[in-house]
Amino acid sequence: MNKYLDLSLQEINNLLINKKITPKDLVIESFERIEANKDLNGFITLNKEAALKRAEDLKDQEVTSLTFGIPIAIKDNIITKNLRTTAGSKMLDNFIPIYDADVIERINEAGMIIIGKANMDEFAMGSSTQTSYYGPTKNPWDKTLVPGGSSGGSAAVVSSRITPIALGSDTGGSIRQPSSFCGIVGLKPTYGRVSRYGLIAFASSLDQIGPMTRNVYENALVLNTICGKSKNDLTSVETNEDFTRLIGKDIKNMKIAIPKFYVNDTIDIEIRQELDNIITLLKENNCVVDYVDIKYIDKAVPLYQIIAMGEASSNLARFDGIRYGYSYENPKDINDLYLKTRKNGFGNEVKRRIMIGSYLLSGKNATTYYNKALAIRDDMRNSFLDIFKNYDLIIGPTATTKAYPLGQDLDDAVKAFMDDILTIPVNMAGLPGMNLPIGFSKDHLPIGMQIIGAPFAEAKIYQLASYIEKELNLDLNPNLGGDDNE
Amino acid sequence: MEDRLTKEEVLHVANLARIEIDDKEIEMYQVKLKKLLDQIELVTKIDDNDSDYLIAPWNNNSEFRKDEVGNMLNPKEVLQNAPRKSGNYIEVPVVISNE
Amino acid sequence: MSNYIPTIGIEVHVELKTNTKIFSSSENGYGQMANSLTNVIDLGYPGTLPTLNEQVIKTAIKAAHVLNCKIRKKQHFDRKNYFYPDNPKNYQITQARSPIGYDGYVEIEIGNNKKKIEIEEIHIEEDTCKSAHRGNVSLLDFNRAGVPLIEIVSRACIESSEEAKLYLEKLRELLYYSNISDCKIEEGSMRCDANVSIRKNIEDKLGTKCEIKNIGSISNVGLAIEKEIERQSKLLDKGETFKEQTRRFDDKQNDTVLMRVKETGNDYRYFPEPDIPYIELSDEIINSSIAELPMLPDERRKIYKERGVSDINITKLIANRSLSDYLNLFLDTKLNFKEASNLLLGDISAYLNKTEKDISNTHLTKEKFIDLVKKVEDNTLTSKNLKDILDDILESDKTIAEIIKEKGISNITDSNMLQDIVLKVILENPDSVKDYKAGKDRAIKYLMGQIMKETKGSANPKLVNQILINELNK
Repeated sequence: MNKYLDLSLQEINNLLINKKITPKDLVIESFERIEANKDLNGFITLNKEAALKRAEDLKDQEVTSLTFGIPIAIKDNIITKNLRTTAGSKMLDNFIPIYDADVIERINEAGMIIIGKANMDEFAMGSSTQTSYYGPTKNPWDKTLVPGGSSGGSAAVVSSRITPIALGSDTGGSIRQPSSFCGIVGLKPTYGRVSRYGLIAFASSLDQIGPMTRNVYENALVLNTICGKSKNDLTSVETNEDFTRLIGKDIKNMKIAIPKFYVNDTIDIEIRQELDNIITLLKENNCVVDYVDIKYIDKAVPLYQIIAMGEASSNLARFDGIRYGYSYENPKDINDLYLKTRKNGFGNEVKRRIMIGSYLLSGKNATTYYNKALAIRDDMRNSFLDIFKNYDLIIGPTATTKAYPLGQDLDDAVKAFMDDILTIPVNMAGLPGMNLPIGFSKDHLPIGMQIIGAPFAEAKIYQLASYIEKELNLDLNPNLGGDDNE
Repeated sequence: MEDRLTKEEVLHVANLARIEIDDKEIEMYQVKLKKLLDQIELVTKIDDNDSDYLIAPWNNNSEFRKDEVGNMLNPKEVLQNAPRKSGNYIEVPVVISNE
Repeated sequence: MSNYIPTIGIEVHVELKTNTKIFSSSENGYGQMANSLTNVIDLGYPGTLPTLNEQVIKTAIKAAHVLNCKIRKKQHFDRKNYFYPDNPKNYQITQARSPIGYDGYVEIEIGNNKKKIEIEEIHIEEDTCKSAHRGNVSLLDFNRAGVPLIEIVSRACIESSEEAKLYLEKLRELLYYSNISDCKIEEGSMRCDANVSIRKNIEDKLGTKCEIKNIGSISNVGLAIEKEIERQSKLLDKGETFKEQTRRFDDKQNDTVLMRVKETGNDYRYFPEPDIPYIELSDEIINSSIAELPMLPDERRKIYKERGVSDINITKLIANRSLSDYLNLFLDTKLNFKEASNLLLGDISAYLNKTEKDISNTHLTKEKFIDLVKKVEDNTLTSKNLKDILDDILESDKTIAEIIKEKGISNITDSNMLQDIVLKVILENPDSVKDYKAGKDRAIKYLMGQIMKETKGSANPKLVNQILINELNK
């Protein structure tokens, strides 16, 4: 088996330009690696035939960018025309979309090749990829562990070098947390940075699509491709910048804030130790590192439950068995169709969240809880923005734990949200946030840190991340792919 | 204070959500929804200083779309994913009204 | 049956006249092949998002303005959540908290009094898809899904079915004249719901209200309200109480019938729509929208009156907007509006009805119409002449003079020739001459008629009259 997919994008690009390899070689290698690691269950639907054909079509085209001809995995809540899109749910088991998401049009234009649709928690509701109708994805570092979630398939696929790039989506940590569990770089961009048109909505005011990659530079490259205003998404914003532009630039005198809440003792000691090492490193480089307070950051989980579940209950109302997707076969009447379609089509976690959301918006609850949550959310965002008046970036851990065993905590609602306790505030405030691998636990599981920026300060995040990445020079390849076959 | 919602309250929510639930689930939600409510109760105790809402972290106001007709689907495409159809129409079981 | 005081509130949904839907670029059209005017957004496909049509905002600004509402500068949309097969996303995007217009009114004339019907709010929302029932299934056509609507909510300040009808007629006239909607109730582009309650004394609190949904015509709104007042009165007379209900008006039974008893408050779980950021209306968009408004009916009435148009013609003109628009092209000319309105509502209307044309599709240029009115005014053209050549005037590019010449239309203005005919008629009708001398005015009409007959209607009547009286008095 070839090992082109272990190379950097620059190295692959050289081979393509010099005609040493063709895009098809890369696609074939991706599928060989999938085949060799079937138990990983990173994909729900493979796109083999179309990917090979596309590779063939690209063969004679000019290599226009570093992402040209590169295999990519797409989280299965991103709509792909003519390629089954399930969002990890039985509800959409038979759903063949008739349009492409904006990001899909952009990665196609950039010459990337879609290998398949990555596994995920059903409708992105979960933090371990165990709520998927298509079975859990496994963590490439230890296949008895969860990869995190909800973009667990995307994280596992990139970590195991099946594709160099994946797209994920992040509503409360769904890119950053699995990236930390799998040892990859994952960015949730600023709300509005990437068009959400074609992302199956979980919570519209929190969702963002973002790149998941093996390193910082490649992450910035993908963001360059997928960002920008779309006429299809009123909340998207025009940006015209190169996210790689500050990579490698000196970080001296950078001012870094750490929310006190982000170093509390519910966080795994090994994670705190790794973060301490980073703090030392930054201070050695003349960075200012201060501990700060951010209003209501400790209340983010209950706020999130109100807002995200409320929006989700409305967003998922459209799955009713009438226009697309699963439909109960012999309904007595329309109400029977609704009740049974949604009972059978949704999994337990999704139903639970729809019930919570419906409850919290019903009757007087909307004024008691929902409006109140929106008001506090405003204060929380303002508190974050105040910090950024004095600091360049905020750092902290990404997750409170490293990857945990499959099967654990599936039914513990509170614990499930605790996974996201450090990532949720970033979504609530609409900020960009990244997971950067910063080390390993004693049992050699990846540990990640979170770097949070002011709105549209992604370039600065990449600047700091690239510095730390270079200093640490970690080996983040779990070395699975194909070794067993040799 | 009750430690659970009434069965009727849970059934009302399930009906709003149009999800059929069985007795075991009703019982589960009676407890779970109440527990959740207690957890988020603290939110109502917060005295925030201003009354501004953050509906979403928008970075801009709405722009408007020009009133020009764009691409449309043909009826065949409309019906492509529909489980029940008749002619050019999507079909549903009739709505029972209490007329 | 005792007398009760009715209190009525009216909600009107109006489909806006735009090219595209409110949240997608699909065509806003009526009467097309089922499911041919849709895209993935209208169908509520997963992943789709709304985009806001500029024309909807501009049109709603116009509506708020003509209905004397205050215009809210910063608004957002809300989601109204309910499951129904005609509601593709199972939520409707509407404005529950920040309607674009509020605190307005429409003035009606009831008897000789003027009354302001107060408007609580105007909000923007999307229409549902259309469902047709066939046995045990319903067929869904999504062409209407996402058509822009405004809902106009009156305060409960309407006190009779008559006021309700006058209000709706005025509303329709205003919205139609403002190009906001074509207001065709039969095509569903205007839909009326009435909330009716009654009470014994004005000091009593309002009685239990019943809503009558989707009434098919303005006159039926009147009937429905009367029937509903009657129904509630009988119940109260008997000392019965009743629950809030939703009813509909049945044409055939000529009565309201029960649809459903209202549940204890519908639980629509409203919350702000996160997919559409705030709408900030600049002065520029408000002013430019209002500037686009054509002249409204009351203003037209006033001007027509000032320019001597008869009351009956004013009513007819307002009822025919395209003729009124045409006449308004001459506001800055000295045109005789009285004569012009007679012509427009008489022979020209007859021609337009016959040919099913709009006046804008004829060859009646501004210059030609001015010429025509003048020629009729000074009797160059008799009404007989006009009938002979009107088709040509409206269908060809030729001037009226050219047509007269070509057609050999003779309008005998040669007084010598007329004098001969007048004398001939006088000689042939000695009795009438006698009557005339005896002071019977009728005689002169008869003689005139005889002369016109003699000239096959082509004599200039003014001239004939002059010569005839001259000769008779000799």
